[in-house]
Amino acid sequence: MIRTDEISFHIGTFQLQGLSIEIADGQYFVLLGPPGSGKTIFLECLCGLKRVDLGRVYIDGRDVTDLEPRARDIGYVPQDYALFPHLSVERNIAFGLCVHGYQRKKAITRVTEMADLLGIGRLLSRRIDGLSGGERQRVALARALVLQPKVLLLDEPVCALDEVTRQEICAQLFRIQRRFGLTTIHVSHNLEEAFSVADRAAILHRGVLQQVGTLDELLRKPNSEFVARFMRCENIFSGQATGQSCATSDTRVKVGDIQLRIPGQHRGTLKFIVRPEDVLILPGGQHYSRSENRFDAKIVCSRDCGGYVRVELDGPLNLVAHMTRAAFAELRSNGNECLNVILRPNNIHVIGK
Amino acid sequence: MRSWRDIVFTAGFFFFPAVFMLFILMLIITDVFYIDRKAVLTVLGSTFIRHALWMSIWTSFTATLLALIFAVPTGYALSRFRFPGCLLADTIVDLPIVFPPLVIGLTLLVFFSQTAPGRWVQQGLGIEFVFQPKGIVLCQFVAAASFSIRSAKTAFDEVDRRHESVALTLGCTRWGSFRRVSLPLARNGIIAGAILTWARAFGLFGPLLIFVGSFRGRTEVLSTTIFLEQSVGNLEVALAVGLLLIFMALIALTVIRVVGRSATVKL
Repeated sequence: MIRTDEISFHIGTFQLQGLSIEIADGQYFVLLGPPGSGKTIFLECLCGLKRVDLGRVYIDGRDVTDLEPRARDIGYVPQDYALFPHLSVERNIAFGLCVHGYQRKKAITRVTEMADLLGIGRLLSRRIDGLSGGERQRVALARALVLQPKVLLLDEPVCALDEVTRQEICAQLFRIQRRFGLTTIHVSHNLEEAFSVADRAAILHRGVLQQVGTLDELLRKPNSEFVARFMRCENIFSGQATGQSCATSDTRVKVGDIQLRIPGQHRGTLKFIVRPEDVLILPGGQHYSRSENRFDAKIVCSRDCGGYVRVELDGPLNLVAHMTRAAFAELRSNGNECLNVILRPNNIHVIGK
Repeated sequence: MRSWRDIVFTAGFFFFPAVFMLFILMLIITDVFYIDRKAVLTVLGSTFIRHALWMSIWTSFTATLLALIFAVPTGYALSRFRFPGCLLADTIVDLPIVFPPLVIGLTLLVFFSQTAPGRWVQQGLGIEFVFQPKGIVLCQFVAAASFSIRSAKTAFDEVDRRHESVALTLGCTRWGSFRRVSLPLARNGIIAGAILTWARAFGLFGPLLIFVGSFRGRTEVLSTTIFLEQSVGNLEVALAVGLLLIFMALIALTVIRVVGRSATVKL
């Protein structure tokens, strides 16, 4: 288990401010955030490469705050991997074993096993210069894992790779993490990457932890506009609470010219989000007129994004919706310009005032 | 097929090194044709010149070794640590490069003969430098160590700190990370500095003449031999010694490069 207790660190004008995170044994945790948010500094604080100004770091219940990096029992894969260019692949992987005084024969056996596990056995005699991005990543991972650390820290491990290799490596990282039961922190700014590996995630912004939870929680119940935008929610609106229903625990909210029913008791001005994939678009017609949270809208722009179609709607609320290609094609075939848009109350999430 | 622009581009970049090398070779060839057999035999047969050759070799290598001993930690410290006055320290390192050579000799002479700390070293500790072979090493060290330090600093600057960080997480101490990672990665730059240092030390002349003199069989090195020979009118012998100096430099530079490249730092 990794636990940080209100850790703070400053460098120049940047400051990590009182970060507290708890990551359970064997959990794959993804730390998300835009560039410059302090993700790498946070990892370096965990590694002991940077001494925290305040707070404590615990690994497996042991206070490691004042310990040197070598005494923390961690495997660290930095951004761009930092492979030693003066050593062969084999010697890169064996580096930690040699430092720990392993006998040559034993070290070679361990290195070979690890290289085979990661599918880089054929590269052992190669120099670092000629390796591809994916191969380098695997070598760096093997170098970190060969010492069988309790914790694995990965700093943007796949950001420099092409899409296909990225997916491959993420799948491999997840398999290996599960196989060794490693508590893992994976730093990234890429949501797809997080979705392919994370058990839990957190979002960091300007040195402040914004939210911790499962990806589903971050996606559907962001606690701030920043988290919502980071999770690629474009439908963020402000409204005024106009009345409450005690029977259903709902609030009526006026947004522009329409009234929406939003779950929960709220007062005054509030902000809420609707995920683009939760916007229901139906062909125009009278038979939906009694549905709640319904209004008319027109499509002003649509773009095929490969897996889905992004649709921009013009209506009382200027919404963005994501539709399957089939649903979009069917909508288009109806030829009706005026559409019914329905926002189900349980798909509306209030993020604050 | 290569376009004429490519050919002009390549030819342009070959033209200047070709002119430079040709000019240097022409100078050496001129010397070769100027000297006669008698001058060569005089050089090869002279005990004093053999002594000067040996003196040049051991003093220059000792000075280079000393320079490296100082250069590696100094270069690393200047590259890695920020401390009050580090900019000043960085500038002081370069000062001996811009000192006029004669000033180095004069300064050393004044320091060791006129100041209390200098006299204490010479008389109190009994380590005599003025007009002594040890003074040659000191003079060469002062004049040439800056090249090693500057090269070492640049080499360490180019070593990515993340390599050291990873080594620390893999079980290294700071020293271990320096020895196993930073030093091997900075090796080429350090060797380049050593070559410059040795070349400067081997050919040093002006400060030596002032600080240690040029006593035959005692403090004479090849560069001062050339001066002594030409000052008494033996131009052929002076040039023959010059060629010997060039030949020795050629061998030494090649050996340093080959040894430096093949050196492997074991884990």
